[in-house]
Formats: sequence, structure tokens, C-alpha cells
Amino acid sequence: MAMSGRIAPSQANPAQPGASLRLRRLANHLGLFLVLLVLWETGSRLGWLDPLFYPRPSAILRSFWLVYFENANIWWHLYVSLGLVLAGFTAGSILGVGLGAVVGLNPLVRRYLQPYVIVLEATPRIAVAPLLIAALGFGAQSKIAIIMLVCFFAPFINTLSGVMNVPAEKLELFRSLRATKWQTLRKLVLPDAVPVIMAGERLALTAALSGVLVAEFIQRDQGIGSLILVYTRNLNMASAFACIFTLTIIGFGIFKGMELLDRWIAFWKHQDGRERVSAARARAHAEEA
Amino acid sequence: MTAAQADAEPRRAAPTVVAGDAIVKTFANGSVTALDRASFDIPKGAFVSLVGPSGCGKSTLLRLIAGLIAPSQGAAIVHGREVTGPRPDIAMMFQKATLLEWRTSLENVLLPTELSGTVTKADRARALDLLNLVGLKDFAFAFPAQLSGGMQQRVALARLLQTGADILLLDEPFGALDEFTREHLNLELLRIVGEFGATTIFVTHNINEAIFLSDQVFVMTPRPGKIAKIVDINLPRPRTLAMQLTPEFNALAEDVRATLGAL
Amino acid sequence: MAEHDLPQRSTPRSYWALSVLPHLVLFGALMALWEGLSIINVIDSIMVPRPSEIVSAIWRLYVTERIIYPHFVVTFTEAVTGFAIGATIAVVLAVASSLSDVFQRYVSPYAIVLNVTPGIALTPIIIAWFGYGMGSKIALAAVICFFPIYVNALTGLLQTDEDREDLFRSLGGTKVQVFFKLRVPSSLPMVFAGMKIGLTTALIGAVVAEFAQATEGVGVLMGRFSFQLQMAASIATLLSMTAIGLLLFYAMEFLDNRIVFWGRENRMARVSRARAKAWQRIMHK
Repeated sequence: MAMSGRIAPSQANPAQPGASLRLRRLANHLGLFLVLLVLWETGSRLGWLDPLFYPRPSAILRSFWLVYFENANIWWHLYVSLGLVLAGFTAGSILGVGLGAVVGLNPLVRRYLQPYVIVLEATPRIAVAPLLIAALGFGAQSKIAIIMLVCFFAPFINTLSGVMNVPAEKLELFRSLRATKWQTLRKLVLPDAVPVIMAGERLALTAALSGVLVAEFIQRDQGIGSLILVYTRNLNMASAFACIFTLTIIGFGIFKGMELLDRWIAFWKHQDGRERVSAARARAHAEEA
Repeated sequence: MTAAQADAEPRRAAPTVVAGDAIVKTFANGSVTALDRASFDIPKGAFVSLVGPSGCGKSTLLRLIAGLIAPSQGAAIVHGREVTGPRPDIAMMFQKATLLEWRTSLENVLLPTELSGTVTKADRARALDLLNLVGLKDFAFAFPAQLSGGMQQRVALARLLQTGADILLLDEPFGALDEFTREHLNLELLRIVGEFGATTIFVTHNINEAIFLSDQVFVMTPRPGKIAKIVDINLPRPRTLAMQLTPEFNALAEDVRATLGAL
Repeated sequence: MAEHDLPQRSTPRSYWALSVLPHLVLFGALMALWEGLSIINVIDSIMVPRPSEIVSAIWRLYVTERIIYPHFVVTFTEAVTGFAIGATIAVVLAVASSLSDVFQRYVSPYAIVLNVTPGIALTPIIIAWFGYGMGSKIALAAVICFFPIYVNALTGLLQTDEDREDLFRSLGGTKVQVFFKLRVPSSLPMVFAGMKIGLTTALIGAVVAEFAQATEGVGVLMGRFSFQLQMAASIATLLSMTAIGLLLFYAMEFLDNRIVFWGRENRMARVSRARAKAWQRIMHK
């Protein structure tokens, strides 16, 4: 690891299998997957699985076609749900990071807030959903409030601990250099906490997806959650599964997207990020000179 | 200054820049004495080591001089003024490199300048010169995670010099490194602080290292932490590794060890 | 920045006065403020019930009418049973994955799919499959608590210390011995961390499934009170969920404390003393 960067070109990890082996493994995975699908399909056609409750892969595939193209009804619900997720996540996580920083930097506030945090941590936050709907009424605002609530906690806790766990010797360095409080915050505490905060944001975005579903299960008006509910009620399980696999894809997108964002923001935690930024800064310096 | 010190070498005639006036430091509401009446005078340009086992108060003394902690009684005096907090003429280096992982070597070296004002082109040039001086010319844009432990400490050393302070306090700066790297960095440290004419106070628990580097060794003993003896090191400069094998060196090491052993 | 707090020895009495009393005073003041603002109509007392109303709702639910207990028991049972099922499957799969690379390779894509899918989305389907009773709640709890436990247990089992494993091999230890005497104990802290997360998620699973469709459980009660705009009773019910959460969490913490004693200094000292005593008894026999 040491002295990488400009001297040694980054080598391929020796533990990484070769291209042909990887291709073969991928084929094996796909093969296994197909075998499972065929077993499921034939099991259903032979009457071992009730297709009413356990839809066949072929039926699910057809439902994908239906909900996306023939009826094309899923788009609107996706738009509604994802809009709510975005709004609630943004508000909730900004609130979480902001409050986490304030609380983390104030020992007194921290001390007095701690019991409430413990209680809140043990409460299933999503359970507040019916209460919020009752208080704020049906509609987007109560849904956003629910998402905010489930998004708030992980960024809050992570920011709090990130801000508190700055290594003591680095704080001492800043003190010996007579840094102001603001400088210490901006140049040491916040950057140091960024990787932990990003981990919190990742959890929050995942929670936001769950939050919108619960809100829609209860309100049952529109959105992907209510769509799943309606399809299931009508025993159209194949379409319900098409919606759920859509959520799988969205979830995967969130996972990968947050990973990319993390590599971009907390670049120094990843080897490729370090090399990229290091080269870019050297270039900028050379241009300036 | 004692009479013995005054007539030793010409450099000893240099004015005192760091002094301790019966410094006492207690912790836990006075129940633990970390440092008991430490008094000393350090002349300009001298290299002083604080040596002793853990709990002897050497790090405490260093932090008192740095102004990071306040004494319970007495005072540390630097350039004739009592130390009441961190100051621009005093800079400190730690056992851990304490580099900021999200900054390149160059940006880490520039940190002190950045914290005390705006960074000019001249500052950048000077930081690059310092990286050159510590042998890291080619690593100016590398991030700490791309450097070995020894290289990280070199960056920290360049950052120390970038402060422009003439009193350098080093708290076991190479203690976490392997023996070979440490020896090598010690030689470079001597060359560099010699070049800058800085007054250096160096904390270590390694007796040989302390003698090898220093003009004076403060031998410290624990419970309560105090300076048990000040040993003058009259070995010629520049120091070479071969000097560690001479009878004079061994006699000095014996002296320090005897002081530490006679607890 | 926080100053280093030096450990201060204080008597129980001053501990009470210094650390508990200010919290109580603050809590009381906040409640009084809330009550006061509600009385002068700054806070809408229908939407945000007064503390006094919440207290009286708690009194009614828990002491006079005592209607919450059966629901409490139902939800508690659902969460714990679901957790037990999910955790068992997770640990078994994690052990198998840690022992066989091939197994891990073929299981991990499905585990990832399960992880990125919001488990809550399965609620309606699981209810259709397992019915309106406790079965569906247990199933949902099991499904959504599976992943954190699996991933933590697997990470714990795979974090190998090469040196220690070399030591075992140099002593002629078999694979089975390495597994039981080295890997399992060193994975336990991670396993418990996963279990603590899993317990909380299992409770969420049970409650959400109750919101969707059920006849019993604190989730049902909460939904009912909310729709009747009985906010005070609804909050009192919410607190019972907190109680279940705390109960489960501290039960796991207790187990963690007992089993992973080497991670805690005070426990370590006690176990050390106990073993010394046991040793002496053996010697005297």
C-alpha cells in the first residue's frame, strides 16, 4: 500500500480471478438462477405451487411488460413515491446532520439530550406513522413527515459520533497551531467526520424507501406502496412482484449511487480516489507554475 | 544557568530562550503530581532531550512549554515571556504524524500558514522547498495513505518547519517507526534543525537516542515526575552513528542509566 | 471541543444530585412548558396532547382498563419469534458461507438482492401468504431481520487473524478446532452487534405488518387510536413499543455482556475471580 501513487503503477490484485474464470463464474451464476426459475415455473405448472399466491416467473415477466408498457401505470406511482423520498430524505438528513453537529460539539446539550436519544433509538420510528398521519392529515405532508422521521436518525447519530471521535492528537495539533474554533470545525472536525456521515446518509436513503412504503400502505391513495397493496388485494400477485422487483432495482441503484457519491466525496478513503485527486492536483500545480 | 554549563562550550554562552521556573503540574484535584518543581534553562540553538520511563512527566513538561496545558504552579518562560497558551514562536510535533488524510503532503505542510492567514505563492514555494528538504520532493501531491510511516513523519517535520517557529517541541516523533528508519530520520533531523538554528526539545524513552541527538539530556524520574539530573553531552558535532561505539558515549549512557536506576 | 473529563470519584448521593436530578428538573420543566403552552392554546391540544392527558391515558391503558397487555404480549411474541427464526437462518447461512467459498459465492447475490429490496415492501404479499394472524407478522419480522445478522455474523467469522490461525496449525489443531476455538469466539462481538440491530428490525417488521392488517398487537391499537384521533392514547401505545424495544435491546445487551465478557473490563474482572475460585476448589479436592 505504502508509496503507491506515482512510483508503482497500481497492480491488479493477485487475488482477483482472471477474466476467463470470472466469465465462467458469471455463467454458473446465471445457470443456477435459470435452473431455479425453471424449477419454480414447472413446479407451478405441475400444480405444486398455487399460481394464485405464488406467481410464475413467466407471469411476473408478463406483468413487467404490463405495468411498464401496456398499461404503463407504474410510472406515475414511481414518480410520486420517489419525489416524496427525495423531499423527505433531503429535509430529514439535513436536519439530522445539522443537529448531530450541534449536539456533538456541545457537551452540555449532549448530556441532556442523551436519555431522549436512547428512548428514540429503542422506539421503532416507523411506528409513529399513524400518529403523524392523524396529526397532519392525509396527503403529501404527512408522508414527507414520516420519511423525514425515518431519515433523521442515522445521519444524526453518525454525525454526532463522527464529530465527537476526532482523534485527540489532531485536535491538539490544531490547538498548538492556534486555530480558531471555526477553523477547527471547518478544516478538521467536519472533513474528519465526512466518511461516517456518508455512511449515515446511505442508511437514511434506504430507510426513506421503507418510510414511503409504510406511509402509502396506511394512506392507500397513490404511490408504489399503495400499488403493491392494491395488486395484492386483487390477488394479482405477479404485478405485485413486478413492483417489488422494481424496488429491488431502485434499492440497488441507491446502493451503487451512494457508493459512487462516497468515492467522490470521501475520495481519500479509496485508493483510486486518492490516485485520481493526487494526479489532478499535481496537474493543476504544474499548470499554475 | 549553572557555572558548569557556562564554561563548557562557546554555544553555551548563548542567551536562554526556554526556561522553567519551578513548574508544578498536578492532576485530579491535586492528588496526582505529574511534574514536581521543574527548573531549567535552555540556551538558544540547543538540542535538549527529555528522557525517562512512562509516567515521568516528560510529555507533560513538553505540553506545558507548548502552552497546551497550564501549570499548577510556576511557569514556563519562552523568549522572556511566560507561556500562557499556544504561541507562533513555539511549534510541536507528535508521535503520530497527525496528517489530515484528505490533504496532499503539500496541503498538509501549508496548514499552519493557512490557519494564520492566507496562503501566498511564496508560501507554496517555501512549502515545496521544505518537502524537498525532507526528501519528499516527488511526493508533494501524494495523500498520507499513499505514504509510508516514515514518509508521513517527514511531512509532519516539514509542516513543523513551515510554522516558522524557532522553538521546536518533538514528542517521540519517530517512536512508532522501525529502528533503521528512526536512525536515519534522527540524522536528518539533526541536519535540518542545525540548518535552521532552532532550539529543540525532544522527548524519548530511548537513552542512546537522547544522548546521540542532544547537547543536554534531562533525565526524568516518575512518581512524582521530576528532572532528576541534567547531563551535558559534550560529544563533538556533527554527530555520526559511529560515535555510539565510543567509550565517552558509553560513559554518558551509563550516567543516565544510573540516574534512572537509582529510584 | 470537549475537555478531557478526569474520572472523579463521587458518592452515590452526589451522583444522584449531580447527574440524575438535573435531567429530571429539565424534563419536568419541558413538560410544564408544554402543558402551559397547551393550556393557553399556543399548542393545539387535540393534535398534540398535553403531558397530563398522556399520563392519564397511560394510567387508563396500563392500570385501570389494562387493555394494552394482551396486545403487548402479541407484538412481543411476534417480534421475538420472528427474530429467532430469522437469526437462526442467518447464522446457519453465515456459518456455511464462512466454511465454503463456493457456497458463499452462490448465496451472496441473493443476499444482496434481499438487502437492497426494502423488506417492508413484502408486507402485503406476506399477509396474503400467511394470513391475518400472527404468522404473517412473524414472517415479516424474520425476513427483515435476516440480513443485518447474516452480514455481521459472516464478517465476524471471516475476519481471520493469520497469526493466530498459524499458531493453531503449528499446534496441530484441526479445522474443526480452529472453527470452534478460534473463529466462533472471535466472531461473537460482531454476531451480537448484528443481533442487536436485528432485534430492532424484527420489532419494526411486526409492527408494520400489524398496521397493514391484523386484529391484535400494539400496532393495531395504535392505528385504531390514531384514526379515532385519540392522540394521547396513541402516544401511550407508542411508549409501549419503546418499552418492548428497550426490553429486547437490554436482554440482548445482557447476553452480550455475559458471553463476550472479555470485551468489558468489569465483567472480565468478575469472570477472572470466579475462575480463580473454581480452580482453588479443584485443587483442594
